[in-house]
Amino acid sequence: MGRLAIENVSVDFGGVHALKDVSFAFESGSIVGLIGPNGAGKSTLLNCISGITRPTAGRVRLDEAVLSERNASSVAGLGIGRVFQHPELVLDLSVRENLMIACHRSLGYGLVSELLMVPSVWRREREAAGRVADVLRRLGIADSADAEVRNLPYGHRKLIDLGRALLMDIGFLLLDEPIAGLNDPEIAHLTELLFELRREFGFGILVVEHNMPFVSRLCERLVVLDLGQLIADGRPADVLGDARVIASYLGEAADA
Amino acid sequence: MTNATDIAGLPGRRSSHGSELVLAGLGVALACVAPFWLNGYGLYLLTLTAIFAIVALGLNLLTGYAGQISLCHAALFGVGAYATALLTSKAGWPYLVSLPVGALLTTAIGAAVAVPALRLKNLYLAIATLGFGVVLQKTIFEWRSLTGGGGGLSLAPPTIAGHELGATGLYYLALAFLVLGLWGAWNLSRGRTGRALRLIKESEIAAASLGIHIARYKVTAFAVSAFYTAIAGGLFAYLVRYINPESFNVGLSIGFLSMIVIGGLGTIGGSIVGALFYVVVPELLRGIKDAPGLVFGVVLVMVMVFMPQGLWGMARRFLGRR
Amino acid sequence: MIANLIVGGLAAGCLYAMVAIAIVIVLNITDIANFAQGEMAMLTTFFAYWLLDDLGLPWWQAVAIAAVFGLVQGVIVQQVIIRPLIGSPVLSAIIATLGLNVVLNSVAGLIWGHQTYTFPSPFAFSAPFHVGGVAVPVTSVVNIAVGLAIILGMTLFLRATWTGMGMRAASQNQTVARLMGVSITKSSAIAWGLGGLVGGIAGILVAPAVFLDTNLMGALLIKAFAGGVLGGLNSLIGVFLGCLALGVAENLTSAYLSPSFGEAITFLVIIAVLIVRPEGVFGHVKVRKA
Repeated sequence: MGRLAIENVSVDFGGVHALKDVSFAFESGSIVGLIGPNGAGKSTLLNCISGITRPTAGRVRLDEAVLSERNASSVAGLGIGRVFQHPELVLDLSVRENLMIACHRSLGYGLVSELLMVPSVWRREREAAGRVADVLRRLGIADSADAEVRNLPYGHRKLIDLGRALLMDIGFLLLDEPIAGLNDPEIAHLTELLFELRREFGFGILVVEHNMPFVSRLCERLVVLDLGQLIADGRPADVLGDARVIASYLGEAADA
Repeated sequence: MTNATDIAGLPGRRSSHGSELVLAGLGVALACVAPFWLNGYGLYLLTLTAIFAIVALGLNLLTGYAGQISLCHAALFGVGAYATALLTSKAGWPYLVSLPVGALLTTAIGAAVAVPALRLKNLYLAIATLGFGVVLQKTIFEWRSLTGGGGGLSLAPPTIAGHELGATGLYYLALAFLVLGLWGAWNLSRGRTGRALRLIKESEIAAASLGIHIARYKVTAFAVSAFYTAIAGGLFAYLVRYINPESFNVGLSIGFLSMIVIGGLGTIGGSIVGALFYVVVPELLRGIKDAPGLVFGVVLVMVMVFMPQGLWGMARRFLGRR
Repeated sequence: MIANLIVGGLAAGCLYAMVAIAIVIVLNITDIANFAQGEMAMLTTFFAYWLLDDLGLPWWQAVAIAAVFGLVQGVIVQQVIIRPLIGSPVLSAIIATLGLNVVLNSVAGLIWGHQTYTFPSPFAFSAPFHVGGVAVPVTSVVNIAVGLAIILGMTLFLRATWTGMGMRAASQNQTVARLMGVSITKSSAIAWGLGGLVGGIAGILVAPAVFLDTNLMGALLIKAFAGGVLGGLNSLIGVFLGCLALGVAENLTSAYLSPSFGEAITFLVIIAVLIVRPEGVFGHVKVRKA
C-alpha cells in the first residue's frame, strides 16, 4: 500500500499561475478523477507528479519519497506510470517491440553483452517477451502482437500505451484523457479493464477526463480544478452537484 | 472480461528475419571472393567502402536510431586514425592492439562530446558538434611534436605477427571488422538499447516516463558511434598510409551523414548501401568529362526527391515488406 | 589597435549575417536548414557579374535584376526539390540541399571556370568614415545598414501582412496554418523565394570584399550557421547580433591568443554559450503542449 500526496503545489509559468496551492492525497487501490474546464491546470498537475514539470512551491510525495525533487525517469522508476493523451509509440516497430521498451529496467543487461548477444541476454529477452505476451492477452490485443503499430487503429494504440505502464510494476497510474478518440464499445471495454486491473494489481489511478458519464462511473472520488485552484473534492454525486463546479463549467460553456 | 474489438486480418505483419540473414550471408560471401576479380584500385575502393560502412553503421545508431545529428564524426574518424597510427608507429605496439586501444580512447572523447550535447537539439546540436570537430581537428594540427601537424604522418605497412599486411590482408581485416560491426549493430538495434533510443527519438518525455534514463542512453549512443568510427579511422590510416589533419574536415562529416541518409536512416542495410553509393558512384562518373560533381549532385538530389526513405528503405518497400 | 580589430570583426560579421538571415527565413518557416543557400547566392552573384561585365548594365540595374533572379531561383528550387519532400524526414530535405550545393557549384564552374573575378562596388573607393579616430570603411557601414534594413523589412512583412502571419503560423503549427487557410506549399515557396532574394543581395555585398569565384560562399555558410545559432535562430535580430559577435570574437582571438587556433576558440565559446543557453542568446524555447 502506498500514498500519493500533493502538498501545497503551485506552478508559475512566467507570471501565469497554472496551479495555486493545490493539496490532496490518495491511496493505492483508489480511483480518483481530476476534472475541470480547459486551462484549469490538470495536465500541469499530472506533469508535476511525473517529474516533467517542477513545482514553483510545494511538493509531491510518494510515501516518504519526494517526487518533486526527482527527474521524470527516476519518478517512473519509483512506480508512477503515465499514459499520455496521445500515445507516443514507435510507429515502425511491432506492438511487442513497443511493449518491450517498457521492460528495459527489468532487462538490466549491460551494453557489451547486448552488442555480443550473449546467452543470458537471450534468456532475459525471452522472459520479458513472456511478460509482454501476458499483458497483451490481458488487454485483449494478443492477436496484433506482431503487427506494426502504424497499421493499428487509435484505440489499440492507447491500449499499448496502457500496456507499457502495466509492465513497469507501478503503484500509481496517471491517465490523461484515456477515452478521447475512442468509440463507445472501446470506452466500455476500457472501463471494465481499468476496474479489473485495479483489482488485480492494486494500484491507484488518477484520471483526467472530460467525459462526465465515464468519470462518474469509474471514479469513487472527484477532485475539481478551476484556474489552477482546487475548488471541490469529494464523491462524484456531491461534487457534480456543487454550485461552484457547475458555475465553472457553465462559464466554459458560455465562452465556447 | 469483455474481449477487445475484433482485430482479424491485420495488415502489415512483419515477416521473420530469415531473408535478411540470407542476404547478409550472400553479401559476405561475395565480399570474400571479390579480391580475386579486382585490380589494385578496385580493391582499394572496396576496402574504402568497408571502412566507410563501419562509420555509417555507427553514425546510423546515433542519427538514425537516437535522432542525434553529429558533424564531428570526421574528426572522431581522424582521432581514431591518429591514435592507432601513433600507438603503432611511435609506441611500437602491435597493430591489432593499437587499433582497439586507439578506438577506446576516441570513445572516451566521443562520450565527452555527448555531455554538452544532452541539452541541444537539431541545428544547435549540429553546430555544437561541428565546433567539437573543429577543435579536435585543430588540436591534431597544433600538437606538432606528437602528430607532425600540417605536414601529416606517413606510415609503414602494418604487420601482424611479423607478417606484413598487404592490400588484400588489410581488405580482409576491414571486412572482418565490418562483419563484427554488423553483428553488434544488429544486436543493439534489436535489444533494449536500440528500442530505448527509438523511443527517445520519438518522444523524450514518453521515454522518461517509462523510466528510461535519457542522458545515459544518449551518451551511450555517442560512445558506441565513436567507437565504430574510430575503428574505421584506424583502418583508414593504414589503407592510405598517409594522414593529414586537413582531410578530417566538416566536408567529410557531411559525407558520412549523406551516406546514411542516402542508404536509409535507422536501417542496418542502409548503412552498407549508402557507403557503397558514396564510394562507387563518383568513380563511375569519373569518365564524364568536366562534370562528375554535377552528376553526383544531381543523383544525390534525385535519390532524395524520389526516395526520401533512402535506397534501402525504398528497396524494402518495393519488396512489400514493412 | 583593438578598435580596428573590432571594426574589422563587425565588417566580417556583417557578411556572415547576410547569409544567416537568408538561411533563417527558410529555416523558421520550413524547418529545413538550406545548405545550398551559399551556392544559390554565389550563382546570383555570378549572374549579376554577367549583367555588369558582359551586358554592361549599370550597377543598380544589374543588382535589381539579379535580386529578382535570386527570388525566382529560390521559388524554382522549392518547387522542384523541396515540394516533393514535404512530409518526408527533414534530414532528407537537408541532404537534398547538400546535393544541390554540389550541383550549383559544378554548374558555375562549367560556365565561369574556377578563376577569380573582381566584382565592382560603387562604395569601394569612397573615403572611410572616421569615428573617434578609427577608420570605418564605407562598405562595412553599407553592409550593416542593408542588414538592418532587411531585418526590418522581414519583421514588418512577417508581423504586418496576412501572408506573413500565415507563414509564421505555418512555422509554429501546421494545423493552425491550415485553419487560417494558409497553404503550407505556398508559404514554403514564398520563404524560399525570400531566402534566394536575401541570399543574392548578401552575395553581391560579399563579392567586392573578397574575390568572386565559385567558392565565394563556402566558408561563409558555416560561419553564418554558427553565428545564427549563437544568437538564436528564431530571432532575426538575434541572428544578426550573433554573427557580429562571431566576427568580432574571431578577430580578437586570432590577434591575441593564437592565429591558427582562433577558429577553434571561437567554437569553444559558442559551445559554452549553448550549454548555458541551449536556444541561443536571443532565442526562446518554442512552447509545445505535452
